[in-house]
Amino acid sequence: MSMLNRRSFVKLSGAAALVGLSATTVSRTGFAADKGKVVVIGGGYGGAIAAKYIRMADQGIDVTLIEQNTHYYSCPLSNWVVAGFRDIEVQKWGYEGLKKHGIKVVHEQATEIDPATKTVTTKGGTKFKYDRLIVSPGVNFKPMEGYDAEAMEKMPHAWNAGPQTVLLHKQLSEMRDGDPFIMVAPTDPFRCPPGPYERASLVAHYLMKNKPKSKVIILDPKDKFSKMGLFTAGWTKLYGYGTDKSKIEWIPGGEGGKVTRVDAKTMTVYTEMAEFKSSCINIIPPQKANAIAEMAKLTDESGWCPINFDTFESKIHKDIHVIGDASAATGLPKSGYAANSEAKVCAAAIVALLNGQKPGEPSYVNTCYSMLSPTYGISVAAVYKLQEGKIKEVGGGLSAADASDAVRQQEALYNESWYQSIMADTFS
Amino acid sequence: MHRKKVHMLALVSGIMAGGFLLSSTASAAEAGATAAMLANTCAGCHGTDGISGGPAMPTIAGLPANYLKTIMGEFKDGTRPSTIMGRLAKGYTTEEIALISDFFSKKKWANAQSHANSKNATAIDAAQAAKGGKVVADAKCDKCHEDDGVFQDEDTPRVAGQWLDYLIFKMQDYKNTALKVPQEKKMETAMEKLTLEDLIAVSHFYASKK
Ligand SMILES: Cc1cc2nc3c(=O)[nH]c(=O)nc-3n(C[C@H](O)[C@H](O)[C@H](O)COP(=O)(O)OP(=O)(O)OC[C@H]3O[C@@H](n4cnc5c(N)ncnc54)[C@H](O)[C@@H]3O)c2cc1C
Ligand code: HEC
Ligand code: HEC
Repeated sequence: MSMLNRRSFVKLSGAAALVGLSATTVSRTGFAADKGKVVVIGGGYGGAIAAKYIRMADQGIDVTLIEQNTHYYSCPLSNWVVAGFRDIEVQKWGYEGLKKHGIKVVHEQATEIDPATKTVTTKGGTKFKYDRLIVSPGVNFKPMEGYDAEAMEKMPHAWNAGPQTVLLHKQLSEMRDGDPFIMVAPTDPFRCPPGPYERASLVAHYLMKNKPKSKVIILDPKDKFSKMGLFTAGWTKLYGYGTDKSKIEWIPGGEGGKVTRVDAKTMTVYTEMAEFKSSCINIIPPQKANAIAEMAKLTDESGWCPINFDTFESKIHKDIHVIGDASAATGLPKSGYAANSEAKVCAAAIVALLNGQKPGEPSYVNTCYSMLSPTYGISVAAVYKLQEGKIKEVGGGLSAADASDAVRQQEALYNESWYQSIMADTFS
Repeated sequence: MHRKKVHMLALVSGIMAGGFLLSSTASAAEAGATAAMLANTCAGCHGTDGISGGPAMPTIAGLPANYLKTIMGEFKDGTRPSTIMGRLAKGYTTEEIALISDFFSKKKWANAQSHANSKNATAIDAAQAAKGGKVVADAKCDKCHEDDGVFQDEDTPRVAGQWLDYLIFKMQDYKNTALKVPQEKKMETAMEKLTLEDLIAVSHFYASKK
């Protein structure tokens, strides 16, 4: 582990002060920032929390958040928007609250990280010096034959929330009654393991009301998926799963679910044995860490960023921490809650290091609520500790298989409540 | 500061265990996560410092430490029914729960207040709240929940200004006798005489008090 004692810290800040004199360097501050500069790339579930919790713990640390968009659209609960019972506007959040913590928010795209000079450069050419850098840029898609930028406009992924979410809802509402809603699910690991199956559930709910002749077909390269027992039990109850009237058909990899290519012009997806056509197709491609992490060579052959689990510092580049979906935090899923939890572990470690202390022991939590209908919620929740170098679950589990309707209904509103709390934690 | 507390705790448990193994208990505790590290994991659901964004997640900021410890202990051992807390509480040791409880008890309570992006909260209804006020007076809930539910002590939580949908969920749980929600004997007796409709009115009453 790289530890910063007081002496090397003095050297560091001395160097930072020197470079600070060069003309292009910004992030000059009105705040007392004598303990060091932290730059955060990406203001989503991971990055915004890291920035805020560093400032909450130590006002002596200067924090700059570089986020390419002026607003953030949350993926969690965006499946409700796809299914038409939630407005995209309530998924939209701004950065004013973070500024109140003394965080400098810069709306630019980071295009370069130089670990040698400890500098981040943006598309506009602005340079930011850091003592510690946190990278939380989310995911990018791995190549898939036929799925390019143009195809995304015809076969939306809706795996980053915003215009894509609205587009998929539009296509669903304009779909011919009788056409299947085709979803192509990704290989592991990917952002939000239960997400595709929650989306399939809520689309099925929409179809029951609005397109009685249609159903959902999930083409999946995998043979099992997150919370599978709870999902299939709920589908049986709500959507006739397993019968020939089922509103949801799941085709696993072992039964020909693996998609080999797509053709947006003819609205067709091809598996090894068959082809599927529809006027509404949702492609969720396989994923990897977002571009900036790849460009900075923070990724390994897996496409994700190897990190130390106690500090989230990169195993490749010193003084750079990677959190959220982009990190290879083996043991934790790629979820918003996990990103929030990783950010807090990382923030505490950075505060300790910049104060010349040893980082403390981490504690992590993950929770993912999923909706099977607007009044039927399920969840997975767990607490984790670092034991023998691994992130290990020390308590938790799934919603009870035999839970009453009342409990499913309570969990549905707790899902919305979780969203309100975590968004307040993130943006205010 | 937290560290000192852990030492004290370890000391107490060491003495209770007959004094032996004191040093190993102390060093194990010293290696543990801080109160803030542990408590901040709760904020994803209960909000920063335990101030929830609602509509159904309870605010836990400023509740008495002993109350929090008791409730967490009951979640952990399964005696208190829950949708999710039972699963999570099992992930923390009794010592960690004490640290977390202490942390939240020192934060300041804030009355429920929805964000503009929150559309699914049940609105407080003045007529229901007025009815609830009468129910509370007749049932003498204020023997313990004094000052219209603002009062709290080491055993009794503040209920005034709590999230309405949370209170309604709790009332549903109390009326579902199969759940056997642990409660004070006198409260149970008072509750038994009331209908769910009465208790929903009481929820509006307590939620309307600040
Ligand atoms: C449909 C769906 C439903 C989901 N539901 C849930 C759920 O219920 N619960 C849950 O816990 N999780 C859920 N998730 C997962 C959750 O959205 C992610 O795990 C979470 O967003 C990860 O956070 P992050 O910080 O890694 O990335 P993000 O939240 O995506 O944030 C990355 C940010 O970085 C910015 N950025 C990227 N590159 C640059 C750059 N070069 N310069 C500047 N800025 C940059 C982006 O604009 C973005 O704002 C869901 C995901 C999907 C797709
Ligand atoms: C996944 C979301 C989630 C997380 C994480 C979570 N809680 Fe809860 N909490 C809930 C819900 C939901 C309830 C209502 C009871 C239930 O159904 O589980 C609750 C209830 C409570 C209550 C009872 C409140 C009262 O007024 O009696 C306490 C105390 C509590 N939680 C403490 C904590 C603590 C401490 C943590 C962190 C160690 C934590 N919770 C983490 C969701 C969460
Ligand atoms: C004898 C004292 C006493 C009386 C009388 C009493 N309560 Fe309570 N109440 C408590 C205590 C102690 C708790 C917390 C521990 C528990 O739930 O057992 C509590 C908890 C609650 C809670 C749960 C709060 C939470 O956050 O989960 C509600 C709601 C509540 N009481 C409502 C009422 C109502 C309504 C009445 C009258 C019908 C009433 N109580 C009468 C002592 C009392």
